[in-house]
Amino acid sequence: MSDTPVDASKRTWLIASSCAGAVGAGFAAVPFVSSFQPSEKAKAAGAAVEVDISALKPGEKVTVEWRGKPVWILKRTPEQLESLKKTEGQLADPNSDRKTYPTPEYAKNQYRSIKPEVFVGVGICSHLGCSPSDKLQPGPQPSLPDDWQGGFLCPCHGSTFDVAGRVFKNKPAPDNLEVPPHMYLSDNRLLIGEDKSTQA
Amino acid sequence: MKKLIITLIAALGIVTGAHAAGADTLAWDKAPNKLNDLPALQNGAKLFVNYCLSCHSAAFMRFNRLRDIGLTEQQIKDNLLFSTDKVGETMKAAIDPKQAKEWFGANPPDLTLIARSRSGHGGTGADYLYTYLRTYYRDPAKATGWNNMVFPNVGMPHVLWELQGEREPQFETRQENGHEVKVFKGWKQLSPGIMTPLQYDAAVGDLVGYLQWMAEPAQNSRVRVGVWVLLFLGVFTIFTWRLNAAFWKNI
Amino acid sequence: MAEFKEISPNATATAKLVNWFDNRFPTAGAAYRDHMSEYYAPKNFNFWYFFGSLAMLVLVLQIVTGIFLTMHYKPDAAAAFGSVEYIMRDVPWGWLIRYMHSTGASAFFVVVYLHMYRGLIYGSYRKPRELVWLFGCAIFLVLMAEAFMGYLLPWGQMSYWGAQVIINLFSAIPFIGPDLSEWIRGDYVVGDATLNRFFAFHVIAVPLVLLGLVVAHIFALHDVGSNNPDGVEIKAGPKDANGKPLDGIPFHPYYTVHDIFGVAVFLMVFTAIIFFAPELGGYFLEYNNFIPADPLKTPLHIAPVWYFTPYYSMLRAITTEMMYALSLILVLAVLFVIVKTRASGAVKGLLVLVAVAFLWMFNAFGFTGVGLLQGIDAKFWGVVVMGASVVILFFLPWLDKSPVKSIRYRPGWHKWMLAVFIVDFFVLGYLGVQPPSPAGERISQLGTLFYFGFFLLMPWWSRLGEFKPVPERITFAAH
Repeated sequence: MSDTPVDASKRTWLIASSCAGAVGAGFAAVPFVSSFQPSEKAKAAGAAVEVDISALKPGEKVTVEWRGKPVWILKRTPEQLESLKKTEGQLADPNSDRKTYPTPEYAKNQYRSIKPEVFVGVGICSHLGCSPSDKLQPGPQPSLPDDWQGGFLCPCHGSTFDVAGRVFKNKPAPDNLEVPPHMYLSDNRLLIGEDKSTQA
Repeated sequence: MKKLIITLIAALGIVTGAHAAGADTLAWDKAPNKLNDLPALQNGAKLFVNYCLSCHSAAFMRFNRLRDIGLTEQQIKDNLLFSTDKVGETMKAAIDPKQAKEWFGANPPDLTLIARSRSGHGGTGADYLYTYLRTYYRDPAKATGWNNMVFPNVGMPHVLWELQGEREPQFETRQENGHEVKVFKGWKQLSPGIMTPLQYDAAVGDLVGYLQWMAEPAQNSRVRVGVWVLLFLGVFTIFTWRLNAAFWKNI
Repeated sequence: MAEFKEISPNATATAKLVNWFDNRFPTAGAAYRDHMSEYYAPKNFNFWYFFGSLAMLVLVLQIVTGIFLTMHYKPDAAAAFGSVEYIMRDVPWGWLIRYMHSTGASAFFVVVYLHMYRGLIYGSYRKPRELVWLFGCAIFLVLMAEAFMGYLLPWGQMSYWGAQVIINLFSAIPFIGPDLSEWIRGDYVVGDATLNRFFAFHVIAVPLVLLGLVVAHIFALHDVGSNNPDGVEIKAGPKDANGKPLDGIPFHPYYTVHDIFGVAVFLMVFTAIIFFAPELGGYFLEYNNFIPADPLKTPLHIAPVWYFTPYYSMLRAITTEMMYALSLILVLAVLFVIVKTRASGAVKGLLVLVAVAFLWMFNAFGFTGVGLLQGIDAKFWGVVVMGASVVILFFLPWLDKSPVKSIRYRPGWHKWMLAVFIVDFFVLGYLGVQPPSPAGERISQLGTLFYFGFFLLMPWWSRLGEFKPVPERITFAAH
């Protein structure tokens, strides 16, 4: 096996075939790996949900399902909006700067919403996934501090959130409640699941 | 090997000769190929939604797949959404299947795969559908008032009759093998439709093209990807051929 | 630990790693040597020797694509058909995985038939390779079962009615037939219960059996060494300094590289079909199967998938008339043995008794109208013949009495016998796809008789003719 010309041709074609084979295998893997992605059926089931909020009264909260998750729509009273300033100091991430569940640009304001009165948030605690209970009534209550302004309490491990879904300090939950992509189709028609950036 | 193949072909020839093509219905015309004509497919989609979805479902076809034939989601929502308001939903029929069975004798079949399932000896499924939709004729003896040349006694009425008008087939009797046969000679237009025969044929061509596309929406990209795959494999085959030669040179 | 191989501390890290592994799992290295780098195969393999490795490739393809299909398929009579369309439309690239699996199923049979043909022409089934052939026949039988059960899964009209007809064949067996069919189905007709159990068999039970048989098939081959187109045993020929046959070369790298080229060419044909003609004129994906199964409506024309059609033809050929023909042949054969052979009177007497018993079962005495003399009707014998047509392959090593292995050194007219057999197989296959017709029936009956005659008379005709001298060494032309 010391004929250099024979070796050279074997080596050339070995390298050529191996490279081509590797490239081919890579391309061949694409369909199989892609088949794991959500199917059209899953995407259709996860389509945006339209909600009519004309009947929503101040202080009322309605829940809709989007992608299998509960999405809360809370029409906040002026008192509830005022309370947001009072809770600022007690919050872990008052300006919603954390990146885990990024808050959309249109909700990066003091109310965490497009319209100040209407809060839209996913009702799933950022700790381990339970759905927090409504504790909208201010004042002292079991499991809540005496200066409770109104918000939500997660029954599983005690995390608390204000009426803008912002998480309090020293709680198991690390993040504010997620604000899903959403937009207003008209004054009273809210589309949850889509906003200008995700639209085709 | 060669002798084997020749004998094989000869034997097949003998056997196929014995196989008669029993055609008691009309031979199928060839459907025009509109699979790469997006405007035609879009027109076909419009015809399908307007004329067919009232009774037939296309249960495996999602509305938003129509993006593949060049429509935007907005266009689909504005013009084509039928029996639903969500563009990701499938095309369900407007009719209740039980009522349909009562009225027509059979539940109108789902049309998603009709262009694939109707293929046969006479041609492709598209050929059959193209011929079927153009060979309806007035038949007072039938409950619907219509009959069809490739699907005798069909329970479906001529949904497109306003476009084609009413026609009657003309036959002539001939002597064949010692007995009389009725041979189809042509059509007589009894009353005109909105479209001329050429326009109607083009419209049906569009509709059938759409049905053909709907039966396998991936087919256009299938062919496109296939060309690249085969080119790549061609190169790969050359490489492995030379690799083999390099190793076997000294044996 | 005392048997561990030592390695110099100055060796490379890779060498040390290999040594560590080899000390604890020497089987791996031994397997590589026994089956690849030190397995000496004859130098003169030709085109017909590609199909073994191609069969392994297709097996792997079917398993991989099958796994991915199982992620989305629903084995429920109400959901199965829809889940296949879901794969075709909603799953990203699902259509490609589905076409790979459907084309692979047909490709499997093309490759296996060509692989068996190689065995036929070069006498690869003869001593000492009979067991390799037996394992191979078992693989063929199991493969047919796997394909049959897989075909039910899409739950189309062909799936449903094909399964209904074939399972009803079992009801032809006397006494236990109808109960057996019901037990197989799990219901009075093919239904959800049948679908679920066929799914379990098709996805895991039968593939495991298939894999085991393939391993046995290859190990049995490697234990005795491969045959070659000349039928010359390379192990009986001259050896080199290391005791390796001069007419052999190491499987790796020579045949690995050779087979990769075969794979490339195969993939070109395979992908051409997948991407440009996945239905292949209705043979690889039947048109009727695009209609969901309807237990109340049989399609006009049920035919099994193309790879079963030769055997299906033989099943259909067995009519009452054919049974009379078979009875006549049996009588003539027994008469021949009595007159022409030198067997003892006792043996001949026994033979006559056995023949009469068979004639009775063939319903040869049925025309008398006597109740007791009624035999079993043609429907059952059709099933028997169909089964026998596959099982007879198992006996080939003992039917072939030719002094010479390979067709190359047999009398020229043996090639014609083989050619007619192959043509017969194709004709039977073609007729199986067609609807029944009087001419077709006659031809398939003649075809069936030739098929069985080819095998059953082989002990006689394989010895006739002028055989050519078999060379000592393989014939090999340098590339």
